[in-house]
Order: sequence, then structure tokens, then C-alpha cells
Amino acid sequence: MTGRLYPFAKVLIANRGEIACRIARTLRERGIGVVAVHHAVERHAAHVRAADEAVELVGDTPVAAHLDIKQIVSAALATGAQAIHPGYGFLSENARFAAAVKEAGLVFIGPDPETIRLMGDKISARNFASAQGVPVAPSVMATGDLEAFRAEAAAIGFPLLIKAAAGGGGKGMCIVRSAADLAEAVRRAASEAQRYFGDGRIYAETYVERPRHIEVQVAGDGEGRAIHLFERECSVQRRFQKIVEEAPAASLAPALRDQICGEAVRLASASRYSNLGTVEFILGEDGRFFFLEMNTRLQVEHPVTEMIAGLDLVGLQLDIAAGFGLGLSQSDVRIKGHAIEVRVCAEDPERDFLPETGVVSALAVPSAPYLRFENALELGQKVTADFDPMLAKLVAHGANREQAIERLIAALRELTLLGVKTNIDYLARVIAHPAFRHADLHTGFVKEHAATLQAQPLPAELRIAALAAAATGFREFRDLAFGAPEPYASIGPWRN
Amino acid sequence: MAFQIELDGAAHEVEILALRPLKLLIDGRECVVTAPDGGEDGRQRIEIDGKPFSFARAHVGARQILRLDGRTLEARLIDPRDAIDAAGAGHDHVRAPMPGTIVHVHKQPGETVSRGEALVTIESMKLQMTLNAPRDGIIASLTRGVGETFDKDEIVAELEPLDGV
Repeated sequence: MTGRLYPFAKVLIANRGEIACRIARTLRERGIGVVAVHHAVERHAAHVRAADEAVELVGDTPVAAHLDIKQIVSAALATGAQAIHPGYGFLSENARFAAAVKEAGLVFIGPDPETIRLMGDKISARNFASAQGVPVAPSVMATGDLEAFRAEAAAIGFPLLIKAAAGGGGKGMCIVRSAADLAEAVRRAASEAQRYFGDGRIYAETYVERPRHIEVQVAGDGEGRAIHLFERECSVQRRFQKIVEEAPAASLAPALRDQICGEAVRLASASRYSNLGTVEFILGEDGRFFFLEMNTRLQVEHPVTEMIAGLDLVGLQLDIAAGFGLGLSQSDVRIKGHAIEVRVCAEDPERDFLPETGVVSALAVPSAPYLRFENALELGQKVTADFDPMLAKLVAHGANREQAIERLIAALRELTLLGVKTNIDYLARVIAHPAFRHADLHTGFVKEHAATLQAQPLPAELRIAALAAAATGFREFRDLAFGAPEPYASIGPWRN
Repeated sequence: MAFQIELDGAAHEVEILALRPLKLLIDGRECVVTAPDGGEDGRQRIEIDGKPFSFARAHVGARQILRLDGRTLEARLIDPRDAIDAAGAGHDHVRAPMPGTIVHVHKQPGETVSRGEALVTIESMKLQMTLNAPRDGIIASLTRGVGETFDKDEIVAELEPLDGV
């Protein structure tokens, strides 16, 4: 709702990278001042330059700085920001942070701390969902005695999924197919849960074979009124993390779509959800679906929803946080076309997607009205192991899924990001893969099609061109071919 | 003069047949090459027998990364001495497949390990991975302790050489 006076003239973005740049864009459009925070290593980063002012955070590591609640709240107070947008990751789903922001007299652009706490713990979230009649998968929780847990877990039946209670992003998570592998999986999951989340609690649940990841974007006004902005499908994952997301979900029967979106709205409404959230489900081949978790923040893949709904989700977050309400009803939200996003990551798909580092030394970005390239990249930028390997998101919209696919393939061919190994070529092969085109998707897509997702040999003509291009880039070759010092230059055509 | 160029892991030969115009023999095929660029990074153009190709280039150390026709390719000049080094390497070292930090040390120098047994656990960008022994043997040294960082391809553990080899 542009034109309305927001109760915050200045907003601090407690994040970095592409999402900080994206949030800053909407804040500027709405005449709101932008405060960035950064660690010393990011002093010249794009998200700092996208802001009106910036505060440097002190931390042993860059990540530690971005997780420092006290410093960030102080930065907001010191700069006169009246609200904080947490973005995704970092402190976005930290109830203590949301509470600290509130206690400091600032607006937290997200749900209230109680809701974050409720949904942040997988167990309490499941129990809540179950109590509202939202379908959840059979499960068992480890209460400390891992031996007893193993027996109870085995009783549910295999395959099982072992997960960290406080987890997310696939950390501390594994699939167990037989009793023989259970002990090691439980030990590892508990240790990873402790390491990553400071909370060793784990649980086991029925693992749905060939599951699809379907999630619903919801918005609530905090008074119990909630709507959905349709679903996204994020089934193509590697290491339990999404790499391709689309909206709407491909080939989801209208009745099933209504049912899944309806359950998500029910959950949001029952929790008197305020602001934007995402309710994640797994969908089996038999059409059964189970509640997975609720993410109480803006999602990485929110642009695909924005593109099909014609909405600015960050703007909607600001409106709700400002107390303007949702400003739209369910019938106002319509699907227009199809949108697909790919996550460009610094990683090597040929080596099990291991993170890569480097320096961005060539960058060319495709541009079209139907494309978005969300990034905070610049030439000369160092890609280090300090942060998440995601470098950017490329999103294409089309009148239908086929057109979105063609546009995304063309855009990926054009996208050039050299100096650090990325998954760009791999993503193009995923999108062009027959199984992806046929929407034959499940979370094991990457593994199932590993062989056919490999790079094909270069056609001869391109190989010759590539070798000639490579040769002219080596100084040893250039000295002879072009710089030809005497006496070679006077010899003329020659052979050795 | 012939150059050995490794392109995406496979060796190829590029030989200069003539200068002005530049004539090359690439994998046995003769072609006239026009390269207006100065070998620097960024978007470039090259003509092979009059047919233009647009590509982008970045130098990363001794390697070049090329982007051509929607493909990203890695190229480097092969030094004939490389082959000799590689042959003598054996399985005495464990190198880090990615830059990161040591989070756990499973075995100490002097201890006996079997092939596949965990030596150290490393972490990079929130991803944990265990590095295993490449063969049976005795640990000669660990170059990094818990909390210490290393670069990609750095040696993190060494095994004692096998007797009689």
C-alpha cells in the first residue's frame, strides 16, 4: 500500500547478500530509509552500498557478527531505525531476537516471538498442527534414552527419516532404510543437532518414498485472518536443500491444491499468524500429504510467488508489520502464468556439490522483463567459505510452465559468472531434463537422474573453438602466436 | 611449436602451423584463427575459419575458465613434467577437497588405520565431511589441529610410506 504513512521511517535489515539488497529495494520504493549491518570483511559489499547508512558489527567470524542480537538491536537504536527486517537465515527465526527487538520498542517485521518459538521447534509445531487437524506423518521423539528411541523408531517401520528437533536446511537429517543402519544414523543426527543448533533432540518419522516438496505461502494479519498466495514446488534438492523452485506446483490437481492450501491457511489462522510464513508439506505419489514445518519468515524462493501473484511480498510484510492489515482478500489472489527459480551456488556438482571458493572475475547477466536476477555480486568479489554458498537466484516467468522453462534455459546459457566454480551449467541441465519438463518430480530427482544430468561431451566444432580460445589466453602461446619476438617473426610460415 | 592443453580433464594438442594469418592444428584439424582479444578476462570473440564464436574468459591462477555456448569449461597448459610428478604421488597424502576448518580429529599420528577409516572431520560453509584413509597404513602426521583452517587441496594428513615401495 504505497502512499500510506508507515510507522517506521527507517528500517534496519539484519541480513546481507542478495536478500538484503532485495529488501532494500522495496524499502526505497516506499520512501523508507535503509540501514545495513555488516562485518568488517563485508565493508564494501553490495548490500552495504544499497543502504543509506551502515553499521559495522564486531564478531570472531562474519557469521557470528550477523548472529549478535545485542549489537544488531543497538545498531537499530543508534541509527534511529524503528523497525528490523530479519530476511531469511541468520536471526530470522530466532524468537529471542524477535523478543529483543520488541523489548527495545522496535517493530519486528515478522511474526511475534511466541509464534516463532511454537513453529521453530519441530515437535511443538507438529503437535500444534496435529491438534488443528492438519495431517502429520507418524513419528517418535527421542527423550534422551537413545536405545529406547531406536526401538520406538523401528516400530514405526522403515524407511524412516531422522531429524533434528530444532533443525532446518537438512542439517542433522538422514534417511534410514533398515534397522542395521539405525544406531549410527541416530548417533550422527544427535551429534549434528547438538553442533548446529545447540539442541541435541532428534525425532524419527515415516519417510515418504518419492516425496514431492510442496509449500504454501501464507499471510496473516495477527487477528486470525489468513490467506494463501498459492503453493510452490521445491522438489529438486541436493543435500536436502532446494536448488529449483517453481510456482504453482506442476501438475497438481485443482482439488488437491485447494486442500493443501486450505490446510496451510487453517494452521496460519489457528496460530493467529502475523506477517508472511510458509507451510511446508511432503506429498506422496498416492496424494497423501503431511505437514513438514512452518517457516516463519520470508522464503529464499519468494520471487516465484511474487511473479505469479503480481505482488511485492516484502511490501506486504511491511504493510502487515505497520498494522495496515492484509489489504487483500483470498479472491484477489490469482495465478498468472508460471515462474521458476534456480539457486546459483558456488559449488561443484561433479564433486557431490561441495562448496567452492574463488573470485568473481567475469560477470554477464541476462536481462528481460520476465527475468529476475537476485544477487549482490560484483566483479572482483571474493567468494569465501564464510557464508552460505548461494550466490544468486535466477527467476523466469512465462505464460505457462513450458515458456518459463525455455526462458530460464536461455537465460542460464547467457549467464556468465567466472572465477569460482558454480552450478550454472548443471542447473541448465536440470531444467532441460525430460523428467523435469514432464514434471516428474520428487526430492530424489538429483540422485535418480545423476547419470543423465552429467555434462555431455562438447561437439567437435565447439571443442575446436574452445581450444583455440584457451590457447590465445595463455601467455606462452601468445608470445609465439602474436608477440612473436625476433627472430621468429621474420621467418614466416614455419613448422617445428 | 605444439601446446598440450587440458580441456575439462582431457588432453588436447594445439600446434602453430603458421603466423599472419594464424594457422593452427587443433586435435588434427587445420584452421585459421582470428583472435582480436588480448588474452584478458571478460567477454571475447574469436573466429575459426571465418566463423565467429563469442566467449568469456577468466584466469584463475594457471587455469583459464571459459564460457562458450552456455558451457563453462576449464583449461590449462599441460607441462610434460606434471605427468612424472603425478606418477610418484601414490596414496601417501590426504588433501582437503574444499577449504574449511578441522572440527574433529579421529586418529593421531602413530596410529594404524585401514583404508576408508575416518581420519579427520572438516567443515566448510556449514557442511561437514569426513576425510578417510586412502589406504591401510600408519599416520605419519596431521598438519592441522581442531579449529585450524586450510585451503582447498592442502594436505591435512600424511601416511607413512609403505615398506618396500
